[in-house]
Formats: sequence, C-alpha cells, structure tokens
Amino acid sequence: MAEDKKLSEEESLQLITEMIHKVKGSFHESGTSAILWGSVIGFCGLFSFAQAQFNFTTGWFDIWLLTLIAIVPQIIISIRESRKRKVLTYEENAMNAIWMIFGISIFAVAFYNNVVPAVTENIFANDGIELLQKNKATGVVTAFHPFIFSVSSVYLILYAIPTLATGLVRKFKPMIIGGFLCYLVFIISCFTTYKYDMLLHSFAAISNWLIPGLILRNKFLKGEGC
Amino acid sequence: MFKELDPILHSQLRLAVMSLLIAVKEAEFTFIREKTNSTAGNLSVQIQKLKDAGYVDVVKQFKDNYPLTTCKITQKGITAFEDYVKALHVYLQAGK
Repeated sequence: MAEDKKLSEEESLQLITEMIHKVKGSFHESGTSAILWGSVIGFCGLFSFAQAQFNFTTGWFDIWLLTLIAIVPQIIISIRESRKRKVLTYEENAMNAIWMIFGISIFAVAFYNNVVPAVTENIFANDGIELLQKNKATGVVTAFHPFIFSVSSVYLILYAIPTLATGLVRKFKPMIIGGFLCYLVFIISCFTTYKYDMLLHSFAAISNWLIPGLILRNKFLKGEGC
Repeated sequence: MFKELDPILHSQLRLAVMSLLIAVKEAEFTFIREKTNSTAGNLSVQIQKLKDAGYVDVVKQFKDNYPLTTCKITQKGITAFEDYVKALHVYLQAGK
C-alpha cells in the first residue's frame, strides 16, 4: 500500500469499508473456556445428581469445589489467549466484561447461599425466636434451619445471561439456543427437587457451554470465526 | 463551499490505518501491517505522522523479549475521522 497515493472520494470510501470489513473477520474464539466450564459444571451437576440418587458422599470434599480449582486453568487460558491476541475489538472487550461480571455474580450468589441461612437463624435467635418444623404425619417437632429455596434456579438464570448475550452479539446460534434452553430449564427447576435440579444444572452447562464450545473449537481449528 | 479533506487522513496508508483503528479498541503493529499489506518501515513512518497529529496513541513495550507496539485511536483521531467521512459524503453527494 503506497504511503502518499492520493485517493479519489470513491476510493477513500471504498478503502474505509474494506478495512472495517477486514477487522470483522479478524477475531476467532477458540472455545477453550466454554469447553472447560461446560465440562466442569456438567460433571459437578451429574455427580451431585448421582450422589443424591445413590446416596453416597465424598466426605469433606464437596464436588462443587472443582469450580474453584478450575479457575487456575482458566487464568492460564486467559493469559495464553491474550498473549496470542494481536487485536482487541470493542465487541471482545464488552464480552470479556460480561463474563467477568458473570464470574463475580456466581461467587456472590454462592456467598449469599452459604451466609444468609446462618445469619437469618442468628437474627431470629437474637430476637428470642426459634424456628421449628412439624412433621404432620408423626406430629414430631424439630428445629428448622433456614436455607435458600431452590437456589439452583438462581444459578440457572445467571448461566443464561452471559450465554445469551454472547450468542446474540456474536450471532452464534448454538449459544442463543443454549441461552434459551437455560431459561426453559430454569422454569422446570422451580418445580423440581434438589436432585433433579442438579441434573438440570448439568444439562444447562452442557447445552450452554460444552456443545457451543466444541463447535467453536472446531471452527477455530478450521480457521473460521463465529 | 467544500470543506478541504484532512491531508493527514487523505492518504492511502494513513486512511487504512485509521479505518482499522476506528473499528477496534487497540491493535498490534503486526496486525495493522498484515491487514494493510504494507512494509514495516513505511507503516512506522505513517503511524508516526498520525501520532504527531495526535490521532493515535502508540505504546511500545516488550513481550517475551520481543518489542511490541500497540496502537490505539485517540478522541481527537475519532473526531477527525468522523469529520473526514462527513466531508467525503458532501463531495460524493455533490458529484451525483
């Protein structure tokens, strides 16, 4: 391209259009993060379902702690991808912000789920109130320890938000379908017990992230963008 | 009366660079070179001219012991680019 070549007005406009078009095709999502989280959450959901179904435990180790461990490879993936990246588009920047906020929100809900029941019980206790539950069949009254009802449903709403946003912005159908499926699964989860909530969790993670991630990976290896 | 087209932008390579940078948050020198199909020397000179005009910010650093130059359009550059496109439209409308 010549440095001082003077352009006609038409040529200038054509050049601007051509360059902007070149940028559009320059970003390729590898799908690695989506595969990682789809696998981890999919596995944790299935494992929790199996635990509830077949009544076994893993002792002190809660299988969902794997999500904390998965942060390590995620950091490595992020660093490697940012090193390889030669350009940062506004779209990519916005998507990064959405997924970062999603990550913070997931841990905020986990914190809420773990802290609020105990705090609620303490607040009642400080007011001299003890919560009790009565078994209608036997008439036995026992202490009631508060918990967050169907917290899995809240997670499912959270899963849908960044997935659907990414799918719509990138015009990537597998994630759009995954996002809507997640809302459907959320509605179902409002009527199911913990055991089936875990199964729905697993289904959501696989349809939201694992399958779209594998499709992205395949496109990435072929050198196509989403 | 036609507004004169900005001479800094009305050159093939500089306009190509600005058109790339207007569409992204930031881009590495190598990316711009690939997309504009230019030589490193020529591109450096043109980016320097854009920098001198205050249209782009250039950050030079090292990555894995290799020099890394990152370019980013400035607010002044965005305004100049928008004015340039508006002026182009006026010329093209008049030509119809």
